[in-house]
Amino acid sequence: MTDGPKKIIDDISNGFAEHGYICSEQIATAVYLASQLEKPILIEGPPGVGKTELANTAALYFQKEMIRLQCYEGLDESKALYEWRYGKQLLYTQILKEQMQEVLEGAKGLKESLDRLMKFEDIFFSEDFLETRPLLEALTSKTGAVLLIDEVDKSDEEFEALLLEILSEFQISIPELGVRKAEVKPLVMLTSNNSREIGDALKRRCLHLYIPFPEAKLERQIIQARVPEISDALQIQLVNFVQGIRQLDLKKLPAISETIDWAKTVILLNSEELDAKLAEDTLNVLLKHQQDIEIVKKEIPSLVSLATETSDGKSIN
Amino acid sequence: MEKVLTDFVKALRNSNVRVSPAETIDAVTVVNNVGYEDKELLKRTLSIVLPKTPDEKKKFEACFDDFFADEIKQQIPLDTNQLNDVGDIDSDLAKKLLEGSQGDLMLSIADAAEAAEIREIKYFTQRSVFTRRILEKMGVGKLEDELMQLGAAREDELPSELEQELRNQLANLRERVSDYVQQQFLLHGDVSGEQLREQVFKSMNMAQIDRSYLHEVHSLVRKMAKKLANLHSRRKKNYKKGRLDIRKTIRDNWVNQGILFNLSWSYKKVDRPKIYVICDVSGSVGAYARFMLMFLFSLTEVVSKLRAFVFSSNLGEVTNDFKDSQLDEAIEKALQKHGGGSTDYGQALTDFVSLCLDDIDKKTTVVILGDARNNFGPEKANLMKTINERAKQVFWLNPEGKYRWDTGDSVMKTYSAYCTKVFPCGNIDQLERVISTLLKTAI
Repeated sequence: MTDGPKKIIDDISNGFAEHGYICSEQIATAVYLASQLEKPILIEGPPGVGKTELANTAALYFQKEMIRLQCYEGLDESKALYEWRYGKQLLYTQILKEQMQEVLEGAKGLKESLDRLMKFEDIFFSEDFLETRPLLEALTSKTGAVLLIDEVDKSDEEFEALLLEILSEFQISIPELGVRKAEVKPLVMLTSNNSREIGDALKRRCLHLYIPFPEAKLERQIIQARVPEISDALQIQLVNFVQGIRQLDLKKLPAISETIDWAKTVILLNSEELDAKLAEDTLNVLLKHQQDIEIVKKEIPSLVSLATETSDGKSIN
Repeated sequence: MEKVLTDFVKALRNSNVRVSPAETIDAVTVVNNVGYEDKELLKRTLSIVLPKTPDEKKKFEACFDDFFADEIKQQIPLDTNQLNDVGDIDSDLAKKLLEGSQGDLMLSIADAAEAAEIREIKYFTQRSVFTRRILEKMGVGKLEDELMQLGAAREDELPSELEQELRNQLANLRERVSDYVQQQFLLHGDVSGEQLREQVFKSMNMAQIDRSYLHEVHSLVRKMAKKLANLHSRRKKNYKKGRLDIRKTIRDNWVNQGILFNLSWSYKKVDRPKIYVICDVSGSVGAYARFMLMFLFSLTEVVSKLRAFVFSSNLGEVTNDFKDSQLDEAIEKALQKHGGGSTDYGQALTDFVSLCLDDIDKKTTVVILGDARNNFGPEKANLMKTINERAKQVFWLNPEGKYRWDTGDSVMKTYSAYCTKVFPCGNIDQLERVISTLLKTAI
C-alpha cells in the first residue's frame, strides 16, 4: 500500500461528498476502518442524522450492491436468512410422483426401493428450492455487497444471537446444505436508535460509530450539498435557527433530515429571509409534536433575532 | 508500543469503560494501521474501536486526553563545570538533576514510586499525598536543606546560578512526579469514584442518604431498573414463538386432498402483566418517599404496563405525571399533591378500590410501598382481602427493618395476612433483590 491511512480517509470523505453525503472525519475514519478490518459498524445516533443514508452512500462509493434488511419485532430466520420453498417442494413432489413410479418399477421389497432412491441426491433440499433472504444474499454475492441491517434495536434478542455467527465469521450454517462462507466479505452496517440496549456480545464484534447532531459548520455544508439552490444568507439563518432549537428541551429535536426538508420548504415558498412569521408558519416541518411546537412558538422571536444577528455578523466578517 | 496501548486500555477500564480482550486486539490492529504519529487520527480511530456507547465515548475522550497528555519540554541542562560552587552540593538528587539525564530521572521516579506503593492509590484525593511521598523518597528533603544553606551562605542579594538552576530543576521535578502520579492514578485508581459511591449508596439506608446525592442515586436506581427490565423482558419474549398448528393445518388443507399445502402456525398469546404500585408518601415515611418515588419513576420508564399511585390519606394516580415530566418535577408534583399529610391506610385502600378494583384481574400484581403506620385509624383489612382475592399477587415492601414492624402504630401484621409476600427494603440492594423476585413472578 502506498497511500497512508490519512490519504485514504480523505479520499473517502471526498468521494462521499461527490455523492452528496457530507461526512465528518469521524465517519470517514469509521468507514475506512470497517473496510480495512472487515468488521461490521454499529451506527448509533438520534433519528434523522443520516445513518441509513451513510450505508446508501457507501454502496455507491464502493460500487457495490446495496442489500437492506429492515428489522422489526418478530423478525426471524425465515425472513432474514433463508427459507425452503415449501410450496414449490410440494408441487414438485406431486408432479414427480409418476416419475417416482418409473424409478421404482421392478424393485422388489422395501430395501431395494430404498437403495434406488438413495442413489439420487437430496434434490428437494438443494439450491433450487432455497429462497435466499437478505443476509444469505449478502454473503453469497459474488462482487461483494453493502449490507445494511436497519434498526437492529427493533428486533428481538434471539435475532441478535443469530447475527453473531454471520457478523464474526461471515458464514451461515444451513443444516441441509452445510456451511456457506462468504467469498467476498460484505461491508456490514447496523443502525440503531437505541430503543433498547444492544447486547454486549454483538457490540463487541462491531466497530461503534456515534453520529450526533452536526455542528453548525457541518450542517451548513450538508444543506449546501442537498439544497444547492439556497442562498448563503438564508442557509446560515436556517441552520442557526435549528441549532438554537436544539438547545431547547423538546420531546424530539429536529435532525438534519428535518433541516433539509425545512430548507426545501422555505425555497418553495420563495422566501429570501427568515422572519418570525415564516418560522411560525413552517414550524411543523421541523417539529413533529404539538407540545414541541408550542414550546418553540414562544421562543421564536428570540431565536429569529439570534439567527439573523449571527448571520449578519458572519457576512461582515 | 503495545505496552502503551494495553496500559491505556487498563486506564480506560478504570474509568468504567468496558473493554474486552478481543477489542484490545482490534485496537492493536488498527493502531498498526494508522500509527501513533497523528494524535487526532489515533484518537478518532480508537474511539471507534474501544468505547461502545455515547456515554463511554465521553469517558474515553477525557481518558485519552489525560493519558496522552503532551510531554514536558526538555530543558537543556546547564554546563555544571562552569559553576564554581558545585562542591557545596553533595546530595544524590541534586547531582542527578544537574547531570540532567532524563532517562535516569524517569527511572528513579519509578523506583521511588514503587517504594511509595503507588499501586495502592485509589482515590482522586490521594494524588498530592503520593506526589509528596515519592518526592520524599527521592531525597527532596535533603536537597531543600542544601538549597537553604546555599541561600543563607550567599553574600549578595541575587541567588547564585547554581541555586537558580537547582530551584528550576526542582520545580520541574515536582511537575513531573505529579504527572507520573496522575498517570498511575488512571491506571490503578477508582478514577471517577463511582465504584466507591455506588457501593456505599447501595448498602446505605435510604433514609440516610443526603438529598444532595439525589442525582447520583437516581442514575444508580435507573441503571438497576433498566437491568431488571432487560433481564425479565427476555423471559416474556420466549412465549411468542409460533408453533405448527397441526389440527388447523389439516383442517385448512382438506380442500387440497389432504396435501398440506398451506401451513398454519399457532401463536401463544403474550401474557401482558399489569403492575400496580401504591406508594406511601406521608410524613412518617418522609425520608424514604423521595427514593420510593424515584424508583417508581424509573420503573415506569422501563415497564410499560405500570400504574403508579401515591397517597398519604387520599390516594391519587400519578402514572401520567410520571410519563410526561422529568424526574425532579414529577417527584415534586407528587409530593406537593399528596405528600406530607398524616397516614390513613384505610382511606387510601378505599380510594384504590373505588378507583380501579375493576381493572384488577388475575394478571395483576399489586405492590404496596409503605411502613403500615396507620395512626391508629381504621385498617379496613377487608379491602386488602378483596384486592388479594382479585389480583394475582400482592407484595408489601416495608422500608423499616423487621424489628420495628408491629411496634407503636404499625399494623404490618394485619395487612401481611393478605399479602402474598412481605419484604423489608431499606436500602437499594434490598430493593433490587425484591423487585427482581417480583418481576420474575409478575411477568
